[in-house]
Amino acid sequence: MASKEVAVEVYDSSSIKVLEGLEAVRLRPAMYIGSTGETGLHHLVYEVVDNSVDEALAGFCTQVDVTIHLDNSITVVDNGRGIPVDMHPEEGVSAAEVVLTKLHAGGKFDSKSYKVSGGLHGVGVSCVNALSESLQLEIWREGYTWEQEYVRGVPRGALARTGKAGRRTGTKITFKPDTTIMDAGVFNFDTLAQRLRELAFLNKGLKITLADEREDPVKSHEFLYNGGIAEFIRHLNRGKSVLHDKPIYFEGPRELPNGGMLTMEIALQYNDSYGENVFSFANNINTVDGGAHLSGFRSALTRTINACGQSAGLFKDVKENLTGDDVREGLTAVVSVKLPQPQFEGQTKGKLNSDIGGFVTQFVNDKLTEYFDKNPAVMRKIVGKAIDAARAREAARRARDLTRRKGALDSGGLPGKLADCQEKDPERCELFLVEGESAGGTAKSGRDRRYQAILPLKGKILNVEKARYDKMLAHDEIRSMITAIGTGIGKEDFNALRLRYHKIVLMTDADVDGSHIRTLLLTFFFRHMQELITRGHVYVAQPPLYRIKKGKNERYIKDDKEFTREILKRATENVGVEYEDRRGLVPLTVRLEAGELRSFLMSLDEFQQFFRQAERRLRDARVVETVSNPMFIVDSKADFTEKANVKALFEALKALRIEAEMVADETHSAWAIVYRDSTNAERRIDVELAQQPEYKRLRMMARQISKHNQAPFTVVRDSSREVQKNWRDLLAYVKNEGMKDAQVTRYKGLGEMNADQLWDTTMNPEKRTLLQVRLEDMVECEEIFSTLMGENVESRRRFIEENALDVRNLDV
Amino acid sequence: MKCPICRKEVKPGSPEAPFCSERCRLIDLGKWAAEEYVISTTVRPGEPEEDEK
Repeated sequence: MASKEVAVEVYDSSSIKVLEGLEAVRLRPAMYIGSTGETGLHHLVYEVVDNSVDEALAGFCTQVDVTIHLDNSITVVDNGRGIPVDMHPEEGVSAAEVVLTKLHAGGKFDSKSYKVSGGLHGVGVSCVNALSESLQLEIWREGYTWEQEYVRGVPRGALARTGKAGRRTGTKITFKPDTTIMDAGVFNFDTLAQRLRELAFLNKGLKITLADEREDPVKSHEFLYNGGIAEFIRHLNRGKSVLHDKPIYFEGPRELPNGGMLTMEIALQYNDSYGENVFSFANNINTVDGGAHLSGFRSALTRTINACGQSAGLFKDVKENLTGDDVREGLTAVVSVKLPQPQFEGQTKGKLNSDIGGFVTQFVNDKLTEYFDKNPAVMRKIVGKAIDAARAREAARRARDLTRRKGALDSGGLPGKLADCQEKDPERCELFLVEGESAGGTAKSGRDRRYQAILPLKGKILNVEKARYDKMLAHDEIRSMITAIGTGIGKEDFNALRLRYHKIVLMTDADVDGSHIRTLLLTFFFRHMQELITRGHVYVAQPPLYRIKKGKNERYIKDDKEFTREILKRATENVGVEYEDRRGLVPLTVRLEAGELRSFLMSLDEFQQFFRQAERRLRDARVVETVSNPMFIVDSKADFTEKANVKALFEALKALRIEAEMVADETHSAWAIVYRDSTNAERRIDVELAQQPEYKRLRMMARQISKHNQAPFTVVRDSSREVQKNWRDLLAYVKNEGMKDAQVTRYKGLGEMNADQLWDTTMNPEKRTLLQVRLEDMVECEEIFSTLMGENVESRRRFIEENALDVRNLDV
Repeated sequence: MKCPICRKEVKPGSPEAPFCSERCRLIDLGKWAAEEYVISTTVRPGEPEEDEK
């Protein structure tokens, strides 16, 4: 609120000028108060209250009480100085009567008595008088009470001194809107409360009360905000999650060049939404169309956030400056200025035209920079939020580009790379998304062109340092795919009726790289064309991994496990394996045959896989062999706290002449073994190792094979006997036997098959198996994808090794 | 499940699923368009070639 020194001039009848008469108001009410409906009706109250608020701005009023009476009349009481009661020199009536009866009359047109004034249309309380069937005026001033009554704007007598007031000062106006003019006659409590609350925010320290006597008991509210518009911000942000706890607030005066004082008050706070919620006020008037003060604030905000972010080095990966839209995402702000003789544009004073934009800009620049210097953490959050907004804007631009129809399309509007089918009925059409140009070529020759279409997608990229393979879907490929599928993407554009193929088949290599491309494709479908999956249009082809040919007999096999099973089946047809069980009191010869032998060999094969995984970590086959031995008790963390357990393992390693040491593992309060691998790097057998999934699986498989794992083994076929010294040799020998006389081909990719083979094994509907992708499978796929895209390199590496992203992860 | 972009919880069956909002959906689509989604497989020197499993 303005300080007391602001208005020192004499406020009496000499400062009231008469500009115009009242008659016109009753004739064209809408011209003066906007409308005769709800808005206009409430406007009458604001007009009276604004008079009181002006007294507060001048520093003479601390409380305004508004009451709605039973008959929808209104009383507004303030504790200001009271309207002047002395005789007006030009009019020959009391100054109060001039204020109540003459349009454009009021202290505000003489900026000596009110440095700053709101007043909605400058038409003042005389308008309210003109539009009221009755109005009672009571003034406490200079120790006396003064009263006057009006009917439809006409005084029923002169202003009269009716009693003593003591030290009390102020004005009380009670009016009842004239229902012969106003279309609306019932006041809405909430509407009034909202504006009065706003006024209380804008004039900190001013107490405004509202009572509704139509309710029983009387409904009342009190608005008093010592925090001013900073509290307004809290009110606007209630229930939202804010970026920084305290609203940023500054307030300050500025001398205007033509005299007078500009007071600026600005509060802002960011929340986590994407909207913008900014209010601007000039002399308490809500300038809904903004104006100089708002644009001054906006340009300062953009400039300061850019400058501070820049000097803090926060824009390393941001190409362009942040725009105004970026910095206003999630912003809640109130800009309130108070100035003498404001210039407005438009009938409703929606826009401030006064030339003060530069002052506001400079003020905000200085204050906000100072605030950011003192609160770097808040600055970082705000800049971070704006950078996110800029990224989102950029992403949206690129996303639109992706779906725009341009680029390599043929005459039918289809991508040039697409080999389309002849059939036009989508229900019978299939689209194969094939990884790699060469496989795409094979698929084109091998397909049934009547109903099978082929879209080749680019294969892998080896990055420049040759340190890794990168797999991605190129921009143009995604676009080709979207165009070929035909449905469009996004909530608005997706239309399942435009789907051009009812089967979309992902055909990728049966290796890790292939599964990566498949993961990318499935993730894209899941995120942006989910309906294709829920409607069951997406499939995964199953190309074979092996071909086993023996004579004229040819067999295609889709994965390693099946391959091993097949080989072992062939090998064990007329073979037995014997070993000596030495665990009992008397050694016993055990012979394994047929099913039992096959399942032992399958377990050995699985054990070998875990063995290899463990070997990658431990780098010494002898160590892996020893730690996997079920004889040692080294599974859980507790096992490692027992010195004897670790010691036993340590002795076994020493017996193998491995340079090892047994040490205390202080981190885990346990024991550990340290040894050096062939590159002299230090390796540890400890609690951490025991917690690795690959180690756990190794130990588990070792227990599973332990019953029969008693080397040496003797392989018996007809009359021949071959001795194998350990399980590894046994497995290799038997596998080799299984492959004897057979021609085995392992396909490293689709491209290694010829067109006929690809058709026979993977594309021919009579013979192929397609896996239908279901939404449930996708939750797992999404998880895989998120891990692969995640920041944590170590967890990603481990994840890839453990899961190897086998397509069968998606089988159900 | 969680929104792939902002990790906010998304109720199954919500109209923007698997995203929380149209905005996040666009950000994701922008990432695809900018070829930001890359799956890398490290080629580690000295690693034994994957032999027949």
